[in-house]
Amino acid sequence: MTATDHSSADDRTLVRAAQRGDMAAFEELVARHRDKIYARAYSMMRNEEEAVDLSQEAWVKGWQRLRQFQGEASFGTWMTRVVINLCLDQLRKQKRQRTESIEAMDEESGGVERQMPVVTSNPTAGLERAELRQRIDRALALLSHEHRTVLVLHEFEEMEYKEIARTMGCSIGTVMSRLFYARRKLAALLADLKKQD
Amino acid sequence: MDFDAQLKLQAFLDGELPEGEASKVADWLARDREAAALLEELRNTRGAMAGFEAGIQLPESREFFWSKVQREIQRRETPAPKSAPTPLLARLRRFLAPASALAVILVAGAVLIRPAGPFDHAHTAGIETALADSGAFTYHDYSAGATLVWLSYPADNEVADNDEAGTIE
Repeated sequence: MTATDHSSADDRTLVRAAQRGDMAAFEELVARHRDKIYARAYSMMRNEEEAVDLSQEAWVKGWQRLRQFQGEASFGTWMTRVVINLCLDQLRKQKRQRTESIEAMDEESGGVERQMPVVTSNPTAGLERAELRQRIDRALALLSHEHRTVLVLHEFEEMEYKEIARTMGCSIGTVMSRLFYARRKLAALLADLKKQD
Repeated sequence: MDFDAQLKLQAFLDGELPEGEASKVADWLARDREAAALLEELRNTRGAMAGFEAGIQLPESREFFWSKVQREIQRRETPAPKSAPTPLLARLRRFLAPASALAVILVAGAVLIRPAGPFDHAHTAGIETALADSGAFTYHDYSAGATLVWLSYPADNEVADNDEAGTIE
């Protein structure tokens, strides 16, 4: 398969070629999906350097495990699951290193969001796409990684509650509670950013 | 509104409620303005996040990023080089050094803990070191009529002695 063939081939054809050891086919897959994989890592880690390293590691793992890919989901979806798992492992390692207490986190997610007043007007209405992205970026950075991860898995990965629970190793109730808190907190942060204008 | 009701509202938004439950929540929303406002807030937040990741790009060129990935793949696929075989003499020395030390300790211990008795005399046992070869020890047990010679050969101190001789000059 030539370079031209690679660029015009669909993912499925490229995956089959890569499974036979065609590295050029794999390079084309990397080129097509690298931004999406990096974006997922960045959303979860909030650190450019870590996100680059983890997305690189995801591609290396992707190559090593390519034979396991049977095509049940799209290649892009399969790769995002690889990078999500790497990010979760990294976040768990970081959490073990931090002194953050689980009890404190549970407290935070178990009451504050119930007291927050409802944001009645849409704080992002009328914003340009770039401005909106920047604000969400700032607001996401202020969430704990547990809340941000639930939000990312639900909103971007479009996972169901039970799937998130399985991925994160927690109960469905915890997923619902964290997602609720994350959304309410994000709404409040976006409203604050609007007030600052 | 209690927390369970709030979570039910969210599950309604996310399409996670069974049909029967969903229609009950829809009725409730029609009657409760507070619940409707909360649902609107949750919906706005979800809408704001849509498309957020689309603008994020890997801050490295295609060629540079791929070169890193490729290098790492190749590094992991290359089997680690086997360590060079250890020369026989080096392996023997590794074994002989502790064995020599152990032998000296055992011999010295045997001499020291030998019970004193009526037949004990100054020349019953002893260790001698041959002056010509400091790596050789001889143990005589006169009462038992036994002689044990321990040669720590090749003697490590041979090399050291030679070096020392050179430096003295």
